Amino acid sequence: MDIPICIGQTLLLMLFAPLVSGIIKKIKNNLRMRIGASVFQPYYNLAKLFAKEEVVSHNASWIFRVTPFIVLASSISALLLVPAFVSRISLNSMGDLLLIVFVLALGRFFLALAGLDTGSAFGGMGSSREMFISSLIEPVAVMSIFVVSLNAHSTNPQIISSMPVVAFSSIIAATSLFFVIIAETSRIPVDNQETHLELTMVHEAMVLEYSGRSLALIEIASYIKQIVFFSLIASVIFPWGISSGISIDSLLISIGAYCMKITILCVFISVLEVSAAKMRLFRVVDFASIAFVLSVLGVIISSMGR
Amino acid sequence: MFVDILLSAILITGFLMIAAKRIGAIIKGFISQSLILFLLTLLLAYKSHSVELYVVAGLLFVVKVILIPHFLSRIVKKIKVDENLGLFLNPTVSIFVALFFVYLSYIFTDKIVCVEEGIEHGAFSVSLSVILMGMFIMIFRMKAIAQIVGLLVTENGLFLAAASVSGGMPFFVEIAVFFDIFLCVIILELFVYKINKAFTHIDVHRLNGLKG
Repeated sequence: MDIPICIGQTLLLMLFAPLVSGIIKKIKNNLRMRIGASVFQPYYNLAKLFAKEEVVSHNASWIFRVTPFIVLASSISALLLVPAFVSRISLNSMGDLLLIVFVLALGRFFLALAGLDTGSAFGGMGSSREMFISSLIEPVAVMSIFVVSLNAHSTNPQIISSMPVVAFSSIIAATSLFFVIIAETSRIPVDNQETHLELTMVHEAMVLEYSGRSLALIEIASYIKQIVFFSLIASVIFPWGISSGISIDSLLISIGAYCMKITILCVFISVLEVSAAKMRLFRVVDFASIAFVLSVLGVIISSMGR
Repeated sequence: MFVDILLSAILITGFLMIAAKRIGAIIKGFISQSLILFLLTLLLAYKSHSVELYVVAGLLFVVKVILIPHFLSRIVKKIKVDENLGLFLNPTVSIFVALFFVYLSYIFTDKIVCVEEGIEHGAFSVSLSVILMGMFIMIFRMKAIAQIVGLLVTENGLFLAAASVSGGMPFFVEIAVFFDIFLCVIILELFVYKINKAFTHIDVHRLNGLKG
């Protein structure tokens, strides 16, 4: 009974992953006093991309062709390990929270290789920037996972998300994980999803050579990666209302609570994106150092037993 | 739960103020810290059903979120100095020092101050670290505006300490403190204005040399 629920939860989250981006865009546009596109716009974009012809450079090797599948597979396998509605999922014997970070790093590694593969100037620039940012941000993600693991005495997401109270240090870890989300999903102070202006592109530069179906797969992968990190905050660190059994009532409550938490996160991110300006690339170091210090602060407070 | 979230937000705004490089950013940080402190006081007032705490929260909002930031931004606009705060230590080193402050105050609270488990412990450690952060801002930033903000941050920490240990100071003391702080900011504003007029800058460390 556990495996169908786990797979059902993953499929449901995959289905709704693009919607989260749509909602964030809608809130951002409303904050700027614009009407904005419909919240289903990411789905229309994906449908359009799947219908389009794919162009692959003659100089591209097999890495370029195989990368979209690896990136998508790594995102989905990370999603399988995250509890979202039900804390008791059977697949958590396959790996713990740290594995999520490293599985996502595998996808990023291949994406960076693919950016270099075609030999275009933008791809290489994007890859080097992405690696620069991720080398700064990955330790923060690992440290904030350490904080919640120290509080629960386990790195198993199931045990962490069934903790009765949220410790003070976990709240600080959630803040540093929020910084990680901003960097990982290429949001404004670090990167900008909306623009294709050459000088500021990071993630967009890396996938510039992709088109058609491959681009659609990579976009789906980044939507899923976003919802993986959202679920880490919403269901692992703040497991309010998460269901431990599989009765219909508790599942409905937990889905409602999950949607509410995700919406609150969307509002936070949109307000930040509208009010902040994009940083210079080398200011990202300051950004990452604040996030890192906050996660270390979480570890210190957690080791004091608070 | 909500108390914990607000306390961590106070701590994090302290870190952001220490990492700030510009005058505008540090004033914004102060506004948000005061706003969170206001929400926390409101929550404590709601929990303890005390009318006095509601009044104190209202005063805090009027004085620290509206009036003082207004005066600070007015003086910044009037003297037209450049936006840089002037750092003796760069942001990265500064926030590591602040991290050490938090560690110290947690050790201090754990070992020396014997308050019982729970909210009081966390709130007291946070308030001690905010006091230390305010002093750090006063010492390690050059512009005179930063000295004012550092003093105010220290006062925020003291307010939080009083609220966490004894449920707030006596009502009239609280009102007197707010009045003091408000007057202090006005006088310091005048002072900064005069310094700027006499020296054409407000860098504290350059005031050591004689003007000739």
